[in-house]
Amino acid sequence: MATQHSRAAARVMISPAVILLLGWMLIPLGMTLYFSFLRYNLLMPGANPFVGWENYSYFLSDPAFQTAIVNTLLLVLGVLLITVVGGVLIALLLDQPMWGQGIVRILVIAPFFVMPTVSALVWKNMFMNPVNGLFAHLFQALGLAPFDFLAQAPLASIIGIVSWQWLPFATLILLTAMQSLDSEQLEAAEMDGASPLARFFHIVLPHLARAITVVILIQTIFLLSVFAEILVTTNGGPGTASTNLTYLVYAESLLRFDVGTGSAGGVVAIILANIVAIFLMRMIGKNLDA
Amino acid sequence: MARAVTPRRKAINTALAWGIGILIFFPILWTILTSFKTEAQAIADPPLFLNFDWTLENYVTVQERSNYFRHFWNSVVISVGSTLIGLLIAVPAAWAMAFVPGRRTKDVLMWMLSTKMLPPVGVLVPIYLIFRDTGLLDSRIGLVIVLTLINLPIIVWMLYTYFREIPGEILEAARMDGAGLRSEILYVLTPMAVPGIASTLLLNIILAWNEAFWTLNLTAANAAPLTAFIASYSSPEGLFYAKLSAASTMAIAPILIMGWFSQKQLVRGLTFGAVK
Repeated sequence: MATQHSRAAARVMISPAVILLLGWMLIPLGMTLYFSFLRYNLLMPGANPFVGWENYSYFLSDPAFQTAIVNTLLLVLGVLLITVVGGVLIALLLDQPMWGQGIVRILVIAPFFVMPTVSALVWKNMFMNPVNGLFAHLFQALGLAPFDFLAQAPLASIIGIVSWQWLPFATLILLTAMQSLDSEQLEAAEMDGASPLARFFHIVLPHLARAITVVILIQTIFLLSVFAEILVTTNGGPGTASTNLTYLVYAESLLRFDVGTGSAGGVVAIILANIVAIFLMRMIGKNLDA
Repeated sequence: MARAVTPRRKAINTALAWGIGILIFFPILWTILTSFKTEAQAIADPPLFLNFDWTLENYVTVQERSNYFRHFWNSVVISVGSTLIGLLIAVPAAWAMAFVPGRRTKDVLMWMLSTKMLPPVGVLVPIYLIFRDTGLLDSRIGLVIVLTLINLPIIVWMLYTYFREIPGEILEAARMDGAGLRSEILYVLTPMAVPGIASTLLLNIILAWNEAFWTLNLTAANAAPLTAFIASYSSPEGLFYAKLSAASTMAIAPILIMGWFSQKQLVRGLTFGAVK
């Protein structure tokens, strides 16, 4: 049905979306790249001279950058570990016959719909506060010393909060994938005497491999950009103990108003995200052919 | 894979699953409960679960002190506005790609997806400066523009995966029966496309409602939606748990309800069709 005429019409229909996205991508990206080579601080108006790679060498040699990279990786890997392992286990459980499955599913999925600032502030104040938080009450009841989560273990606490937000996503996707598994295969393995563990490792897990990969890649894209949770809980501190790359670039650009260095940091963040994106795109692209 | 199991096994599954479900849901439940307490009861030790005097006073206070509904309305305008404009741009594009696929359709789709992978912080500085110079900073229009653009790839993709499931033969059949292009679109395609468009709408309102990078960085007092308004509770004055809870409960309730209706679409939308 694709005639010459309909082809032309199709092009007209697609072009607004393409032009807008092209503009959204190229104009700011070009500007970031351009700014990253200038000495440009909003607090010091005047000429913005070209300084070559100076911003990059300044940003990359800043001790805060090394901390931020380590924190970014710890945050991404920590949350991935918790959500993927937890997600597989919970999905396995939810896939079993039980009463009220629909309601449990609703309860488990709920945190995903809570906006980041709300979940971060609720955890920070009502759970992790060393005096009035529920954990403090719990510790006291158990005779333990109070623990100031966000001061003594800021990054771990943020990993916990972000994991709570993303566990539902992993669970839901893995559960969806699990439900597409042919139950006859499992029954056949069971009749042949395969133990539950063997069935899990030889049938269920391979079947989930693809979904797990998708979960890891998509979450990584979002987790590299965790921002609100850090802003409202620790402001990246104490010191830079919970500063990730996104927060560091924000701090350079909008707190210290150093547009040049902030832009150089932005370019670094883009490169990092692209490495992950390439793998994700390949997976999704393969699926498009299927 | 619902298999027959013994009632005992089923009971154990049920107990375990409910336990975990309630544990995961607990922070939300606790927030809702706390919103009905007085500030003193909110920090009581030992904590009070249901045995407190339920009050609506926090909801009243939050509205009176900070004009809560203005921020609520900002959230509505920004999330619904950006989604509707996004649909307006995306429906024709997804339609054309699904029904008149060309050689480059796949490349265009993949390229659109790649724009979604751009980390927002990579373009924070230019967007901030453009907004400052054009007066879009702290305006609802500015946020509608940004959220439309960042969610456009997801909207196109979701619609595309839905439209692709509409069989092309049905069009040919309609044409054989003498339907013109207008009636073809109006009576044949639209009814089949509506469910897909509705799910896309729902999921994108949710995503835009909860977006917390651009909303935090591009707004101040005027256009701040709930994400940014709630963030102002990070520097508290005095007792505020019950008020924080009331503000939070109102901010998450509508989306929680919408979200529960869109579980299935969530998987499709957020994995770009890679898991269905």
